[in-house]
Amino acid sequence: MTREEARAILQKAAAAEDGREVEATLGGGRSELTRFANNEITQNVSERRYVLSVRVVRGRRTGRATGNDLSPDGIARLVRRADDAARLSPESPDLLPLPKAQKYREVDSADAETASFGPDGRAREVGRAVGRCKDAGIVGAGIYETASGTIGDYGVISTLAIANSNGLFAYHDSTDARFSISALDGMASGWASAESHESRDIDGDAVAARAVEKALRSRGAERREPGAYTVVLEPAAVSDLLTDTAWLSFGALPVQEGRSFLSGRIGQKVAGDNITIRDDPYHPLHKGAPFDAEGMPTVPVTIIERGVAKGPVYDRQTAAKEGKESTGHSLLPYPNPYGPLTGHLVLEGGEGTVEELIARVDRGLLVTRVWYTNVVDPMTATLTGMTRDGLFAIEGGKLRGAVRNFRFNQSVVQMLNGVEALSAPVRVGGVVCPGLLVRGFHMSSVTEF
Amino acid sequence: MNGLAREALDTAVARGAGYADVRLLETLREDLIVKDGRLGGLDQSESRGIGVRVLVDGAWGYAATDDLTRDAVQACAAYAVAVGRASARVLEAPVRLAPEPAHRAVWTSPCAIDPFAVPLERKLDLLLRIDAALRGVKGVTIAESFLTFIRRRQRFLSSEGADIDQTLTRSGGGYAATAVAGGEVQRRSFPQAEGHHQTMGYEFIESVPWVEEAPRVGEEAVALLKADQCPAGEFDVVLEGSQLALQIHESVGHPAELDRVLGLEANYAGTSFLTLDKMGSLQFGSRHVNLVADATLPHGLATFGFDDEGVEAQRWPIVRDGMFEGYLTSRELAHRVGDARSRGCVRSDGWNHIPMIRMVNLSLMPGAGTFDDLLADTDHGIYMATNRSWSIDQLRYNFQFKTEIAWEIRKGKRVRMLKNPTYQGITTQFWNSCDFVCGPEAWRPWGVVNCGKGQPGQVADMTHGAAPARFRKLQVGAGYDD
Repeated sequence: MTREEARAILQKAAAAEDGREVEATLGGGRSELTRFANNEITQNVSERRYVLSVRVVRGRRTGRATGNDLSPDGIARLVRRADDAARLSPESPDLLPLPKAQKYREVDSADAETASFGPDGRAREVGRAVGRCKDAGIVGAGIYETASGTIGDYGVISTLAIANSNGLFAYHDSTDARFSISALDGMASGWASAESHESRDIDGDAVAARAVEKALRSRGAERREPGAYTVVLEPAAVSDLLTDTAWLSFGALPVQEGRSFLSGRIGQKVAGDNITIRDDPYHPLHKGAPFDAEGMPTVPVTIIERGVAKGPVYDRQTAAKEGKESTGHSLLPYPNPYGPLTGHLVLEGGEGTVEELIARVDRGLLVTRVWYTNVVDPMTATLTGMTRDGLFAIEGGKLRGAVRNFRFNQSVVQMLNGVEALSAPVRVGGVVCPGLLVRGFHMSSVTEF
Repeated sequence: MNGLAREALDTAVARGAGYADVRLLETLREDLIVKDGRLGGLDQSESRGIGVRVLVDGAWGYAATDDLTRDAVQACAAYAVAVGRASARVLEAPVRLAPEPAHRAVWTSPCAIDPFAVPLERKLDLLLRIDAALRGVKGVTIAESFLTFIRRRQRFLSSEGADIDQTLTRSGGGYAATAVAGGEVQRRSFPQAEGHHQTMGYEFIESVPWVEEAPRVGEEAVALLKADQCPAGEFDVVLEGSQLALQIHESVGHPAELDRVLGLEANYAGTSFLTLDKMGSLQFGSRHVNLVADATLPHGLATFGFDDEGVEAQRWPIVRDGMFEGYLTSRELAHRVGDARSRGCVRSDGWNHIPMIRMVNLSLMPGAGTFDDLLADTDHGIYMATNRSWSIDQLRYNFQFKTEIAWEIRKGKRVRMLKNPTYQGITTQFWNSCDFVCGPEAWRPWGVVNCGKGQPGQVADMTHGAAPARFRKLQVGAGYDD
């Protein structure tokens, strides 16, 4: 949907009227995904969807209605329902009026070739990847996804355009391409992925080659005893651990409610000197939306700088509570119980490669990625989860045999205080982060493969 | 609107689909949240659209749109065929579907009180009363409560002649009290984590003692801050029903999904240790363990007349007297386990997503004895209740759960509250250690509404019935043992 098409729809919804303010948000686009397993395409889908969400504010009351009928009648019905809900809702004493018009940075992350890449292009790349697997006697399973607009995983739709009755209007279109492959050899497996705003950056064969190499190396995994290990975490593993930690700790709401390890510790040392964590949609590897779901410009935020807690990300409501400005991190429709969230995490890295991290380890483990992480203890950001798709022993700075997967129970706060070295950052799982060399990572039990 | 579904079907077949089905859906949803005395969320949403699934040269294609003009729907169906044609470029063997009668039916879930007709003020009043009761407990830091109502009407047409009109109405709610102090966060939820939901109307909401239970819930959250840490080591563990429901979900339901077993989910959710050779030969659990899949369970969240590929709802054993007996299957995969007919487990979370194998309701059948009998029979153990976190490996062997609360059992009695309880195990060892399942009077249907699976991810809901049960010599305390 073009900027002008979006504007036309939103202006119908967010027309000014006495006694009420209206905010209208549009999200959606087209998302397509080719899925393969057992060396063949098993699912292949395309979805075209746009969602309009209207919020009406009447003094201290607010209500929302959401729908996907974008006809004039459909839009009018949504506004009426949102208005009815606002009239019936209880007063919220700290509810803010809608913001005025804002200025935004330009971010160019929409690529026409990716938007029209199509099922034939994806089948071609999948065919190359599957060919690589077959040549190695390996079974390949994975995805190639191309998307234009703001349909996310699990059908979650983020903001494509927003307008309100105070004259605010913002629009940002983008495209995405993502390839992921698991290479399976019985219970041994390897994995690799690639992601970019542009499909031309995706080389299915090259990604498959990395996964196949891991799978072949994963054969004959040996059982090791649980305990504290020196580990090299590849960027995919770091990405998952950081994402969970950010959800728990880096928004202003958990900090204000005392549920974050940053609560009461702003200005204090919370991590090692080599740890700087930011949220930055303008990072060249992110190129994210320059505004949030309230239409506020997103500001790059340094959350931890050289180990010192600097502060969380804010939306308008949490910022007002502290007399601050929003940093533009309202990622979910207001009101919501989660508060502001990070959307474009960056863990600053070093210069070298993951191989150079491995070379520094006399005895330890290489973790390709982690799986099914969940929170054990929120205040220490202790997470549990499994290693997956390639756990290898490191001896004398070199990779040795495969090791059976471990379950870990690890405080990320403790981990961030024990990082010995960082590789150069890459973008994986929506996070820009390096691989890490960490001492004393807690592997607590072993699984059967 | 129904003419559009027919139009899509005809277009898909005319363009070369060997098989096609069309789902035209309208979904209504209402979400109300109250947090700390204020409106935490109020959204009424509606979504309508059409999804076209085709087999072209034996390969799947799927396209969906919410542009419900005639031209757009025809273009969507034609695109589904083009997508299927692209799939056929990388295909080992053509898909073949297990036969199913072409049902022509109307099916509506029971709903005595239409939740969308209940005034918003009444729903908000209930939440505000719960909220006040929770915050009336000294030490409660955060009070959150919610109600959710969903109505989904689907018209299903297939090129084999099926024509099914199905309407499901779901109601649910829940709340949690959180207490924060001294660097700790403790939480108690009611009636379970993520709330309690059933395929019913507002009469379900009226059947639950929401406000009456709130003071106890708040008090337990606060008491947990001062409770003793749950010890680490090997213990006999009694699991409360809702925690056991999630255990069933993660360690029985997912590994029994035949698409996982056959590697179709390998890149994301994973595969399964329940490989085909295990059917009829694996002692999955002790003789106390009987698990039944049932898409006909009254008020279950995965209770329906027909699944999303038109297969009639069924009931069958997954584990009988501890022996692993059956899978959750689809028309595409049923023949891989020698079945002539699908078990009817294919669902999607909307018009925009392709249907795939999802758990139907899956329950641990009741044994005998009351909860008091179970406690009285336990000399020393730990009783754990209400899930707080969960994790399991991609083959579904190694799991770890944390519950909100636990109590130490000594000589048949609960003697002290314990905080931060966790337990960890290997699936078959766990189910084989089961030596007591309480009887029908303690059995409850518990809902799971946040089951994620697939690429793109889809969220499904289902019910797991369970009564409290005992498991011998579990590893307790992971995450807090050093």
